[in-house]
Amino acid sequence: MVDVSAIAEIGIVGLSTGMRLALLGAGITLVFGLGEVLNLSQGILAVLTAVIALEFAGGGELIGLALPVPVAALVALLGIGLFSLAVDRGLLSSVYQSDGDERILVGIFVTLGIALALEGLLDLRYSYRFSLPVDLPTFRPAGLVVLGGDLLNIALGGIILAALFLFLRRTYLGKATRTLTQNEVGAELCGVDTRKMRTLIFVLSALLAGAAGLLQVTATNISPSVGFGLTTNGLIVAIVGGVRDVRGTVIAGIGLGFVVTFSNYYIGSSVALIILFLTATVAIIFRQEDLA
Amino acid sequence: MSQVSPRTDRIVRFSKIALVAIIFAVLPLVAESPLLRRLFFLIVVFAMFGLALNVVFGHTDQLYLFVGALAGVGGYTTAIAADALGVTPWITIPAGVALAGLIGGTVSYIAARRRFTVILIAVFTLTLELAFNQFVVGFNDLTGGSTGFRIADIGIESDLVFYYLVAAVFVGFMLLYDRLIHSRYGVAFNAIREDELAAESVGIEIVRYKTFAGVVAAMLIALTGILYGFYEGRLYPSIYSFNNIDVAILIMLTLGGLRTLLGPVVGATVIFAIEEQLADTPEWRIVIFGVLLIVLFLYFREGIVRKVGDFLEERDLDPATLVENNT
Repeated sequence: MVDVSAIAEIGIVGLSTGMRLALLGAGITLVFGLGEVLNLSQGILAVLTAVIALEFAGGGELIGLALPVPVAALVALLGIGLFSLAVDRGLLSSVYQSDGDERILVGIFVTLGIALALEGLLDLRYSYRFSLPVDLPTFRPAGLVVLGGDLLNIALGGIILAALFLFLRRTYLGKATRTLTQNEVGAELCGVDTRKMRTLIFVLSALLAGAAGLLQVTATNISPSVGFGLTTNGLIVAIVGGVRDVRGTVIAGIGLGFVVTFSNYYIGSSVALIILFLTATVAIIFRQEDLA
Repeated sequence: MSQVSPRTDRIVRFSKIALVAIIFAVLPLVAESPLLRRLFFLIVVFAMFGLALNVVFGHTDQLYLFVGALAGVGGYTTAIAADALGVTPWITIPAGVALAGLIGGTVSYIAARRRFTVILIAVFTLTLELAFNQFVVGFNDLTGGSTGFRIADIGIESDLVFYYLVAAVFVGFMLLYDRLIHSRYGVAFNAIREDELAAESVGIEIVRYKTFAGVVAAMLIALTGILYGFYEGRLYPSIYSFNNIDVAILIMLTLGGLRTLLGPVVGATVIFAIEEQLADTPEWRIVIFGVLLIVLFLYFREGIVRKVGDFLEERDLDPATLVENNT
């Protein structure tokens, strides 16, 4: 017999996981669509944000402050915004100087380098799994066990993704972004400053990664060693969703969140991950026209 | 270099290979500490990986981010088959090499047929590598998982004898690489890299050449992975991981010089020398690797071998000129 309440419980966890995957994937999609740079440091930016929040919320020992968690989270987002601005101005400027296949290659290796260096640095001090000191209630509607952290992930994740859509559809900047992904030369002729837009989008994608990291440490935990795994998950979501389309990425993120959580529960985590990876390879083979 | 006669060119190339062969033959005799000998072995192994990646990534622009997985397919297939048949793993090497060759060929064939961009083949191979790692960890009845899979006795007691065997295979790799690059395959690779459309229009079958490069590289990678596994004696997923193999080789290859004969061995030597300095602080290894990746790809894409070559040429000291002047 199928256990309906178990399915409902896993479904909620799946949706919460899916929200984070969607946030990570959307960031990768935006940066790739806008500048052909495949950002392999997305996952570690999520970890870095969580580390900053941990420090400001009194969970670390470096800062010695114990701000309320929401305030610490905002400080962390501000921090990751500034950090990504520095990365964009410093390192990515050099990447954008090359073009074509060259830029793609340099982009891959420079962001991989950032990912490795940050992972190594964070691992020196935070080599353990940590979560934020939040005390969220557990709900028990109709005999189900639902964690407050998961509900928070679904609610906040939903709000952030909705805000992202509104930004891309309704604001001038958002429209400029979309124009640029579709036709770089055309956008420039209309007076869009390509370089500034790329900076804006890189910072935005880092904030999305940061949000995913913060949500993760309220629902479960994080550690520097999972950084690259988060990147590959985001990458797979971006690919399955069609790398130039944020809406597809969000749908793919939530869908894969369900797939991973259910297969994790019923057939074990290794098989679940193998399914995830093979899904990506199949998606690449059959959707190659949209991805190129 | 363009005025150099083909004969001089050949002499220079073979002298380079001979020089590397002599250096690696003498090294373990001069340095007898087991630690240094292990270092020499690893340099040879990673130079072999680098030469193989040079064929497929350097010469045909197919960014294989699953060198670790191909090496692992070779190692695990050989070890598991030998264990199942109850024979020495030397006999099952061809099985590991063939399976990896088949995988490399299939991947390159699909990528070339579907006209994958470099980013797609990178992500495609990376996800395959991650799937392979999960397979090894998850199907531990077959692979031993993270507790490892013990390789049956290879019958060579002395590390030094095994080192010389692998060093000889390395010299074989260099000869093969040199021959390949100076054959019609090498010419076709160059044409495809310069301009795929133009190459196709003069009748070069792109899919065939890229697939060929994939098969050759995958087989060389697998053979290297097998010998590496024999040396370790026990196979773990971490031996063949992305961080241990792929990242290290990409750094070595770029540092030494992509598309050069000596680049892989020069890059491997420098990186292992740096790692040796970091022996007391292994936690900094990954940080240094990350910084190296960034700096190399932004500012040092020509690599050491080409820089040194340019330096010597400016002073008329390059080997080709010296050979010409003395004959």
